[in-house]
Amino acid sequence: MMLLAAEVAPSFWHGFFFVFFALLTCGFALGVLFSNNIVRMAFYLVLSLGASAGLFFLAGAEFVGAMQLMIYVGGTLVLLIFGVMLTAQSRFISMKTPSGEWVLGVAVGGCLLLLLLSVAFQVKDWRTPRGKGGLSLEDSKTSSQIGMAFTGVRVDKLDQKNEQLAGGMSGYLLPFVIVSVHLLVVLVGAAYMARTKRRATATGAVG
Amino acid sequence: MATQLDDPRIIEFDVRTDEMLVNMGPQHPSTHGVLRLVLRTDGEIVSEVEPHIGYLHRCAEKIGENLTPRQWIPYTDRMDYLAGMNMNLGWALAVEKLVDHELSEKAKHLRVILAEMGRIASHLVGMGAYGLDLGTFSPFLYAFREREKILDLFEEACGARLTYSYLTPGGATADLPNGWLQKCEAFLEQFEPIIQEYHALLTTNAIFVKRTASIGVMSPEMAVDFGCTGPVLRGSGVDYDLRRDGEERYTEMYDGYAFEVIVQKDGHYPRDHDYPAVPKEAVLGDCWHRFYVRMLEVVQAIDIVRQAIDRYSTASGDYGVPIKLTQKLPKGEAYLETESPRGQMGFYLISHGDSIPWRVRARSSSFCNLSVTSDLCRGCLIADVPAIVGSLDLVMGEIDR
Amino acid sequence: MSPTVADFFHNSFRLPESLAYLTAAVIHCVLIILVVAVGALLFIWLERKVSGRIQDRLGPTRVGGAFGWLQTLADGIKLIAKEDITPKDADWLLFKLAPYIGFAASYCAYIALPFADGWAARHMNTAVFFILAVLGIEVFSPILAGYASGSKWSLFGAIREAAQVVSYEVPLGMCVVVPVFLCGTMNLVTIGNMQAGLFTNWLVFNDPFTFVIAVVYFTCATASVNRAPFDLAEAESELVAGFHTEYSGLRWSFFFMAEYGSMFLVSGLAAILFFGGWHGPIPIGEILGDFLAYVVTPLVGIVAWLLSFVFKNVHTADHVAVAGHIANSLGCLNFLLKGLIGVTVMMWVRWTLPRLRIDQVMTTCLKYCVPIAAICFLGALGWRVADWTTGADIPLVGIHYGKGGRGMVRESWVEQTQSAKVAENDVPDAPITDPNASDGPTGSVEQSPDELLTMKGGDQ
Repeated sequence: MMLLAAEVAPSFWHGFFFVFFALLTCGFALGVLFSNNIVRMAFYLVLSLGASAGLFFLAGAEFVGAMQLMIYVGGTLVLLIFGVMLTAQSRFISMKTPSGEWVLGVAVGGCLLLLLLSVAFQVKDWRTPRGKGGLSLEDSKTSSQIGMAFTGVRVDKLDQKNEQLAGGMSGYLLPFVIVSVHLLVVLVGAAYMARTKRRATATGAVG
Repeated sequence: MATQLDDPRIIEFDVRTDEMLVNMGPQHPSTHGVLRLVLRTDGEIVSEVEPHIGYLHRCAEKIGENLTPRQWIPYTDRMDYLAGMNMNLGWALAVEKLVDHELSEKAKHLRVILAEMGRIASHLVGMGAYGLDLGTFSPFLYAFREREKILDLFEEACGARLTYSYLTPGGATADLPNGWLQKCEAFLEQFEPIIQEYHALLTTNAIFVKRTASIGVMSPEMAVDFGCTGPVLRGSGVDYDLRRDGEERYTEMYDGYAFEVIVQKDGHYPRDHDYPAVPKEAVLGDCWHRFYVRMLEVVQAIDIVRQAIDRYSTASGDYGVPIKLTQKLPKGEAYLETESPRGQMGFYLISHGDSIPWRVRARSSSFCNLSVTSDLCRGCLIADVPAIVGSLDLVMGEIDR
Repeated sequence: MSPTVADFFHNSFRLPESLAYLTAAVIHCVLIILVVAVGALLFIWLERKVSGRIQDRLGPTRVGGAFGWLQTLADGIKLIAKEDITPKDADWLLFKLAPYIGFAASYCAYIALPFADGWAARHMNTAVFFILAVLGIEVFSPILAGYASGSKWSLFGAIREAAQVVSYEVPLGMCVVVPVFLCGTMNLVTIGNMQAGLFTNWLVFNDPFTFVIAVVYFTCATASVNRAPFDLAEAESELVAGFHTEYSGLRWSFFFMAEYGSMFLVSGLAAILFFGGWHGPIPIGEILGDFLAYVVTPLVGIVAWLLSFVFKNVHTADHVAVAGHIANSLGCLNFLLKGLIGVTVMMWVRWTLPRLRIDQVMTTCLKYCVPIAAICFLGALGWRVADWTTGADIPLVGIHYGKGGRGMVRESWVEQTQSAKVAENDVPDAPITDPNASDGPTGSVEQSPDELLTMKGGDQ
């Protein structure tokens, strides 16, 4: 009863959904840019990131797609909206971007876009269209591979000829743990800093 | 989250955000009718609660100045509409005090039966509605199931289920029908074991204890200062009950009855041997204690009704013929307080010698009990506001009159 | 690769490939919609019946016959007919969209939920993770609804919901990880199939820690789908109706469809992760194996033979597949029943317990659920490493994975990498470089990743 698990997905629907998700991603990204209301911006960002997760699913990278949903959509953006709701003042409800910032934003964003485009066109595989048979949509094994890579087992390099390298390729686990502990420390510190204790009488006046 | 300092009026904020004024009521599920509370909140923390009343004001007292005392009886029903019998009784006794009417033994015991049954019915609603305030629905229906049986009995006695107009100045409108006492006894027999069910669902429930224990703590001094009465006062440990400490005319009804005032002494309640012990978290004067006092009063009321039934069936005299509708009231004034389920319900009337009193006033127990809300709710969480207000067991009909 | 539904349409009905895929997709969508929507209909009716019985009432009795089983339909018609009101202060776009987000998220998560062996709309290798991720998105619905309503009570509900759901994802994730590492896979189908056999095989009985974890999971799941005693976002005694205070009609009902949808989803997930999935407590199928072999299979054969007149391309080999599908249908029933039990327990709890306060909800999560989940996580891990007796070691009928067999699942990619490599290495000069290559899959080429991964060969 598997729907899209076949080795060869029909290119029509694949192309259709690729365009669909790509348009959603770009459209809502523009929505973030041109919206005035900060909560709507966050909402468009949710949809944009969700649609890019759809692109990951379409490419068969389920783990990365789910990761995108979990971390960016379900985690970061919830906190973002939460923060906005707690702090939103009237000036955030309708934000106007000054023209100077527009110019700056277009300049920086344009540079980034040019860089990405030039890199993208340098990838050889992406320049030649693939035949129907070349479109492989196997069930993703990315999760296992990523997991093993963390512990230092590079599955994609199993055929490593060099005995020494094959035996002990360094993993990402330690740096990963260090980074996450660092993040935790930062979070705790931020929470502590935010606890600026103020006394207030119950009637509301700060005292 | 706020940390409470020694001075309860000072709240320490971790992160301060904008304050928000929120209207809780008059259309709100947990304000028991039309109470309006204006909350000033910082996030979930309530810094100030201001009760606004008057949404159910019907000029009952002014109407009383245009009606003869017996005609005004239906208006007393509509004050504390959950305990109409006790309202009838309060007004009847006040008028009897003015005209100096003496009752027969039988009439007194009849009044005890009905007043205590009314107390049970009222406390059942208080208990069920409190569960509703804390977010559990089932105890409410369990309470109403039993209350309906009491209302059936009342209906049989007087024809009404909510606004009885049964006890009137001079006695009652009619005697109890044949076989009523047996039915009443059968009800008590069936009802008494069911109380354990309520304790299992609420009193001992871990979440219930967490929601009520140490919440809204009212010291005995504070309770006295604010004029709190009834279970709210006794929940704070003040040993005061008008059935024992009240005026002669009222306490003589209870002469010879064996009952104790439900108040905590040395960490124990009278008659709590069959019922759950006070949990460790609970502090005298908190919501849990106010609730528990009501639960024990139900048990005690059952006991009093049983005694009254025995006395009533052997007592001499009649059920008390009501005073004439147009009887001239002697010149003078009278004030009498009775122990209604919610506290001291006082009625005051001044007569200039007509059959219609010149002035009528009522002292409402819920009104005084309500006045503590803004002090009790200071610095609590929003969810505690219904818990505290619910534990006061307010009836807006009585406050607004 | 087993034939897919799309293949079936393509082969049997001669549909063009893209149309075949579209048909298959629509069928899957409709099936899931049926589960979510009809499930909501059933659960709302059940909720009313259960609460009625708990409260000494009858509940609905009239609409649709003796048990009032069409009551929800009548309610639904009423809700559709109701006016759809948008408050003056509302952010109209977000206000109108918010209910659909919750429903869509709840619906999406069903894509990865297998209802029986292999019966999932999308067979995912990382199904557990996907479901958790998508469930996390559901929180946007109350948050945006609460914000967009322009009502203070709604905003309170939204803030509570955000704080609560984000917190409860932590212990929920910890609980879900335990079955994942015990089975060595995030594939729900594999996890479910590993619990075949007697009920002692179920992961909940694997060791004491998993038992506790199952309880913690259910608590956190109840909290994350906003059911009492954790239904603070819609606490009617405090916040009127919380985030959906300003909603009416159909939009309001979407919140409920989403709520009941996720209730069944988390219960179903619990059933697969801890309670054997589609396997019954006693493997009746195995015990009655002979009976099935001699009586049922020939019958199935006849049916399949008859079917072959209709669908010319059905081969005789498919008869076995048909029998498998019948077994799967029973398994699906089993699974639905387990999910239903979970939902009923949630209802039972709702109509019995008072509601917690927001700080108590957070305390329950951060001071109780997280540490307990963490300790049990380590405990289950230790139990596993120490190789102590598990529930599956108790003598039982049916499949037995052997000591430590469970979790020694070789990920399919390892096997595939190996077989690919074997094939690659063998073709040109295998006899010369590797004399053992004739031994097939146990050749030396396979050994190196095995040693590398310190994985023993499992039954899988």
